[in-house]
Amino acid sequence: MIFEDLGKQLKKDTFGQFGIGLTILFVIVATLCPFIAQDPDAHSILTFQPPSSNHWLGTNDVGQDVWSRVLWGVRTSLLIALGVGLLTTAFSTTIGVTAALVGGAYEIVVMRIIDALLAIPTVVVLIVISAFIKPDIFMLIVLISSLHWQGGARILRSQTLAVKNQLHILAAKTFGAGRLHIIVRHILPELGPILIVSFIYTARMAVFIEAGLAFVGISDPSTISWGRMMYHSAKFYYLPVWKWWLLPPGFALSLLIVGFTFLGYSLERVFEPRLKDA
Amino acid sequence: MLRVSNLSVTYGTRRILNGIDLQIQRGEVLSIVGESGTGKTTLGLSLMGLLKEQAEDVETNGEVYLQERDITKCNEEELRKIRWNRIAMVFQNVENALNPVYTVLDQVKEPLMENKSWDKEEATLKSLDLLQKVDFPSHRLNAYPHELSAGEKQKALIAMAFVCDPDLVILDEPTASLDVASRQSILERLRLLCRDRAVLLITHNLAVAGGFSHKTAVLYGGYIVEFAPTKDLLSQPRHPYARGLLRSYVGMDRAKDLQGIKGRVQFVEKGCPFHPRCTQAIALCEDESPKLVSLGERSVACHRGGIVPLLEVKALTFSVGPLRLIDSISQIVFEGETLAIVGASGAGKTTLAKTIMGLLNSTEGEVLLEGDKVERRDKDFFSRVQMIYQDPREALSHRLKVLECVREPLDIQSVGTNKQVRYERVKAVLEEVELPTEDEFLQRYPHQLSGGEVQRVAIARALVLNPKLLIADEPTSALDASVQAKIVKLLNNIQEKRGLAILFITHDIALARKMSDRIAIMHAGRIIEEGPTGWMLSSCSHPQTRELLKAATTIERLRDSSDES
Amino acid sequence: MKTTGTHYVIAFLIILFLNFLLPRLMAGDPLTAIYGQEVLIQMTPALKLRLTESFGLDQPLWEQFFRYVFSLFKGDLGYSFYHKTPVLKAILSYLPWTILLMGTAFTLSGVMGVVLGIESGWRRGRKIDKSLLVGMMSFSGFPSFFVGILLLLIFGVELRLFPLHGAQTAYAGLSGLGLLWDILKHLVLPLSTLVVVFLSGDYLLTRSTMVTVVKEPFVLVAKAKGLTDRKIRYKHAGRNSLIPVVTATGVRFGSMIVTGALLVEVVFSYPGMGSLVYDAILTRDYPVLQGSLLVITIVVLMVNLMVDLLYKKLDPRTASAQ
Repeated sequence: MIFEDLGKQLKKDTFGQFGIGLTILFVIVATLCPFIAQDPDAHSILTFQPPSSNHWLGTNDVGQDVWSRVLWGVRTSLLIALGVGLLTTAFSTTIGVTAALVGGAYEIVVMRIIDALLAIPTVVVLIVISAFIKPDIFMLIVLISSLHWQGGARILRSQTLAVKNQLHILAAKTFGAGRLHIIVRHILPELGPILIVSFIYTARMAVFIEAGLAFVGISDPSTISWGRMMYHSAKFYYLPVWKWWLLPPGFALSLLIVGFTFLGYSLERVFEPRLKDA
Repeated sequence: MLRVSNLSVTYGTRRILNGIDLQIQRGEVLSIVGESGTGKTTLGLSLMGLLKEQAEDVETNGEVYLQERDITKCNEEELRKIRWNRIAMVFQNVENALNPVYTVLDQVKEPLMENKSWDKEEATLKSLDLLQKVDFPSHRLNAYPHELSAGEKQKALIAMAFVCDPDLVILDEPTASLDVASRQSILERLRLLCRDRAVLLITHNLAVAGGFSHKTAVLYGGYIVEFAPTKDLLSQPRHPYARGLLRSYVGMDRAKDLQGIKGRVQFVEKGCPFHPRCTQAIALCEDESPKLVSLGERSVACHRGGIVPLLEVKALTFSVGPLRLIDSISQIVFEGETLAIVGASGAGKTTLAKTIMGLLNSTEGEVLLEGDKVERRDKDFFSRVQMIYQDPREALSHRLKVLECVREPLDIQSVGTNKQVRYERVKAVLEEVELPTEDEFLQRYPHQLSGGEVQRVAIARALVLNPKLLIADEPTSALDASVQAKIVKLLNNIQEKRGLAILFITHDIALARKMSDRIAIMHAGRIIEEGPTGWMLSSCSHPQTRELLKAATTIERLRDSSDES
Repeated sequence: MKTTGTHYVIAFLIILFLNFLLPRLMAGDPLTAIYGQEVLIQMTPALKLRLTESFGLDQPLWEQFFRYVFSLFKGDLGYSFYHKTPVLKAILSYLPWTILLMGTAFTLSGVMGVVLGIESGWRRGRKIDKSLLVGMMSFSGFPSFFVGILLLLIFGVELRLFPLHGAQTAYAGLSGLGLLWDILKHLVLPLSTLVVVFLSGDYLLTRSTMVTVVKEPFVLVAKAKGLTDRKIRYKHAGRNSLIPVVTATGVRFGSMIVTGALLVEVVFSYPGMGSLVYDAILTRDYPVLQGSLLVITIVVLMVNLMVDLLYKKLDPRTASAQ
């Protein structure tokens, strides 16, 4: 039901089309990159080459093909996006919904913790922690998620509270529905729209953060990441080929984030009817 | 002051207002009455030039003259200067009509300071004065809207509307959020505030319109269907919709049971907007929409000139020798209405009924049916006028089964092509009077039925020819009280559905009160007093009427008297 | 107020604890964690011993924590071997630049974003709105550091309009108006970067709210009152649209805004907290990192607190909803 509406809305919505288009494009690239790109880690003696037919963006200081590295970078970013998105959403949903449904002391304690965590400048913490611990990609996913679930949790809690008292749920209770049934059949569908939108925005933020951290040098050097490529290129800014190492990952990064932005925006409009004419 | 000429408003493909003509003078209050969705608020907004805010695709035709200046031709800036200074509006939606982030006092002052450049002190003084005039609590002046009750917000909105001294004030349901007690008080204060201004009152509540306005226009389907001085409209509406509206209202002075209007609001492509629900519609009503035609002080938009006078008797007299059993009776029974003839036994009521029906020949005077003089009572006459009697068992032949009884008029008038068609008609009309339609019932004889059932069969028989007028001569006196109640309800329902006019004859004024729109009191062969039911019962003057009233049944009186004895 | 305050206090305590815990969580000698491998190598054993004592590293954990907190209150955030000054002093020399940069960027983008959002939301669907919307949304996708690099390349390198790094020209010995002008010249590029990045957030939020607010009855009433278009747009609709923006700003401040500032400073080598942290990461100057975290957190918490108070003033409905 939601998906039919979605389909109709997206057909008319240019933003949505762009967003979905870009995202799908990136997903395709990520899946196909073993076939369309050269081995990104392969060193060669052809270092500092400008763009040529063999190497569309030239090679870097150890002879790696820059274009391939850009393509493989898609995987990293998408992985982060998906990982953080899922983990954060799962976590915030569980906490938020249970807080609203269980109530009592549990809810109060949880909400205080959430408020406190929300006040913390998460990225700074992230930077500092990463400086000490130097995370790999999976660690990074966990770290980012652990610092970002609070916002979602708070929103989900207030939504669940609102939904909890809706008539159709009370009605279900009179049929003898158990808690689990109510959560799965009634509450989650109501929360669906918010979950989806929040998933996308979280994913977007995760991509940005990973790139930011990598750009500053706090990331796993063995993972191919756009941010890292830009960081790396900064060391060689006196060379003319520098542009080819810096700008493509930058634009790729921007494009992916823009794609998510458009997607999130148009989904917001689909799910929030009052913004429909926006 | 305000003159609206042929105003039409369309949203996209839907016409909300059609050719509205209005005039309001200074010091006059005009109400626009109509139910939801009839376009009342659109009218208000269009006078303020605010329609574009509601919908992009709105189109307006016609002219609106404010003191001889056509404001439909003004540009946005000119309109802006007129708004609130010359025309102000009290909005309907009280919940969100005030900006939540500013105090009430600030918002009331605002137009004075913005539009007229008053300084803060003067503006505050004037605002305070107005707020006090509408009985706004003085300790809440600096409250924010969310801290106020609906009634307080409404009062603030009213005060705010008057702050720039507008010449024309539009009140859109100004008392909707108030309880009945506050309503009265606010209306009083509004009356004072509205002196020397032209006022357009928009409401769905006839009581409010009644107490407050000089003239009333009834809006239906985007058309003005009736326009009259309020007093006249409320006592005798001439348009079927206006009458239907009046009948739907509860009021201490309304005695007759509530009746609705058949059908429901529907959008009509062409023709009269009311015709699908009108009980006196003719073919023309489907094709052309009627124009407002003035009849004296009032105007009605109806191809038939308003509610049709169905039956008229003029100076009708029946004498036996020198004794005038009915003496120069003149009465009109209107379409879809119930006129009760009330009088003691021997007053001549049944004589009147029989004379009208032609069972007795009148010695003087004439009877007109739908405007035409009735020379003789023929099949045509009887297909339009039918009668039911006091004793239904006598009125039905005990030899005929139910089916045959009810079918008899159809057979006589050769209605329908064959027996099957008539059979279906009989079943349909039996259903209408809430009787079973199974064969088992149809084959019964009258003596196998209860009193109530017999009377219903008689009513069914009377209805089977689809008459326009039903003369009911004491139809319930022979029945038990609970049965009587059902028959009364049945007759009212049939009237609502078919637009049946009923001439209801009874000696019981209390019963007449429940059944009728108008009552005529008969005594010694003459009509001594008549008028709308509610009014009659409270303001009658003739001593005979008073006698009847005193003798009328009241449970309390019976209880009191039994206490005494 | 009490409820507002508590969670800030809790947040602060958490950071404190985290700060304390981090170095001790790393494998190896705590001194290494606190000072880093490179520094440690340079230390004499005697120095190491003294440091161990002063940190109480041979004491139980909770005692160490108390020492830590105590020294914090004394203003002792540790010593930076790289900068060769106490951490607090280093921070205090870098912090003002960040405040200058962030402050102006924040204000400028806030004002511009809200105004553009109001104008856009008011004219929803028309060409101005559509083009602004598309433009803003596209820009919002560019990460702050990338925008910075682009601007640097175009205006700094290619067009040579602005200096490439720093907050002022080193060793120039300028003063008065000259100094001011120099500072401004250095400020332009990083400021522009931040404004571009922050702008879209405020704009989009304001616009969305504006679109819903415009449909409220009181806006129609305002128009009926004969107020000018502009008055209605700002005083009535705009004022209401401001509320969620203020709240959101508070929330966003910590994560997005701070990140943006830090990263941009790195790109332009602007000597603010961002550069400080960056250098500290490169040189493994852990005391500086911890100290910076603490100071930044305090600043963010203060801003959040101010926003909370401001919000209560802006929206009268919250005041009585207690």
